[in-house]
Amino acid sequence: MGHLVLHSFIETLVMVGVSMVLGTAIGMILAIFLVLTKPSGLWPKPLLFQTFGIVLNAFRSIPFIILIILMIPFTRFWVGTSIGTAAATLPLTFAASLLIARVIEDALNTTPKGLVEVGKALGASNLQIIIRIQLREALPLIISGLTTISINIIGFSAMAGTVGGGGLGDLAIRYGYQRYDFTLLLIIVIILIVMVQCVQTLGNFLSVRLKK
Amino acid sequence: MSIVIKNLEKSYGVPILNGINLEVPQGQILGIIGKSGEGKSTLLRCLNGLEQPNAGMITIDGHPFTGIPDKDRRRIQQKIGNVFQSFNLLSRLTALENVMFPLELLGQDPQTNRIKALKMLHLVGLEGKENAYPSQLSGGQSQRVAIARALIRDASFLLCDEFTSALDFETSLDLLELLRDLNKRLGITIILITHDMAIVREICDEVCVLDKGRIVEKNDITSILLYPQNAITKSLIRNLINRDLPHHLQEILLKKPSPDSAALLRLFFSSQSAGDPIISSLVKKYDISINILVGNLDHIRETAFGSLIIAIPYELPKIEAIMNDLAIRDVSSEILGYLPQKEGHLWDT
Repeated sequence: MGHLVLHSFIETLVMVGVSMVLGTAIGMILAIFLVLTKPSGLWPKPLLFQTFGIVLNAFRSIPFIILIILMIPFTRFWVGTSIGTAAATLPLTFAASLLIARVIEDALNTTPKGLVEVGKALGASNLQIIIRIQLREALPLIISGLTTISINIIGFSAMAGTVGGGGLGDLAIRYGYQRYDFTLLLIIVIILIVMVQCVQTLGNFLSVRLKK
Repeated sequence: MSIVIKNLEKSYGVPILNGINLEVPQGQILGIIGKSGEGKSTLLRCLNGLEQPNAGMITIDGHPFTGIPDKDRRRIQQKIGNVFQSFNLLSRLTALENVMFPLELLGQDPQTNRIKALKMLHLVGLEGKENAYPSQLSGGQSQRVAIARALIRDASFLLCDEFTSALDFETSLDLLELLRDLNKRLGITIILITHDMAIVREICDEVCVLDKGRIVEKNDITSILLYPQNAITKSLIRNLINRDLPHHLQEILLKKPSPDSAALLRLFFSSQSAGDPIISSLVKKYDISINILVGNLDHIRETAFGSLIIAIPYELPKIEAIMNDLAIRDVSSEILGYLPQKEGHLWDT
């Protein structure tokens, strides 16, 4: 049984880890795009900005469990199969990207206008202003946002069982709920609590350290 | 760097700048003064390239700075240093890293940048603060970091936008002295934007007064202070030398005269009239006693200018005659209010 828990734990780590890393990369690009194109942005394209915002919000309103199902054709195309941990990671990455895009967008928008003007007056390119000024300033906020999203994604990963993704949540449902193994259920809940606590503590620590 | 501005116009729906013409020779410290909302900041934003004018042109060292591609403008912008009212330092970088920032954008060698930034920090008097974060620096120190950052690319033209407004007067004076010093040592042209004549007086060679998007007066600092022509200039100078009535007098000030009260008059001198023995001649001519309550006199060259608040016994015909008399002598006066007479002695402070 211990073996089963460890195996599921690793599956959860892989799903959450991979989707967070890929999601941050994609979310970052989406966020930069949104910040650049907003009406008061460095490269204002209001129509593009609004259309893009609506599409993002539309995807964000789909409940995750339904998103997994809707994405099955894509998962099959990209991952080769629609079943398993790898297959579950794709919708997780997708969901994470959407959440992260908004968090980073909000964080970038908190940069004081004066700092952006410093960059402009120095003749910096738009990308330099975003990366060297706005991202730098917003880093503590981004880290605390990513912390919250990691915890959300740990929760989402429990639904990965729907497509045979495995992980702790899946184990808890199959053994704990469907087989009435409440001891196992309890153990998994405790592991999840500890996991979430660790992520939160690490996130807080980093965010505070980065703030000067 | 020399700057020439010709017929500059800018509007955001409503016109902000209405045909600005200005020449700033290399090495000059020019003050642009005006009340808020008169186009000072817009003019500055045209000068640092943050805004494009609707008409007219700016040339810097003979090269056009307006109506050119972004890429060319960026190259000229590198020679322009900016200092802002709110410091605008990157909060997560140390003082040294902030000074290095403009070089970092150019992608130069970090080690060389570091050495240069250290020199710059020493030049602005911040030895030992290299590793402090902006949150650990005082306002004056932060602004010094900002000045070092503005100059790190060997800027030969410095634009300062209300850069002392967030600081107390003593600190402002220190910073102005630093700018003066940098101007002398490095020959940097400085344009300083402010609403405060006290700042202009400390440092500027030339002053131009902005009102409703036009330059209404431009002259050297002495002439501006001694012989202001425009009403706006006069009111800005008045702010400079006006001292308010002490609080304890304000509390007992009456709006209407009562028998035996004393009238408080504020006299304002801004020309050579201040050299005349006005008070003593009033005493002789009208046979009254005059009590000087607040005085603020300043000298530029041999001429005094300033304001006086005096108390004289309230007798309407006499007061009217005195005020007429003062007007003839080019001294403006206004009645601030009336003081009740205390038993025994006269409105003595």
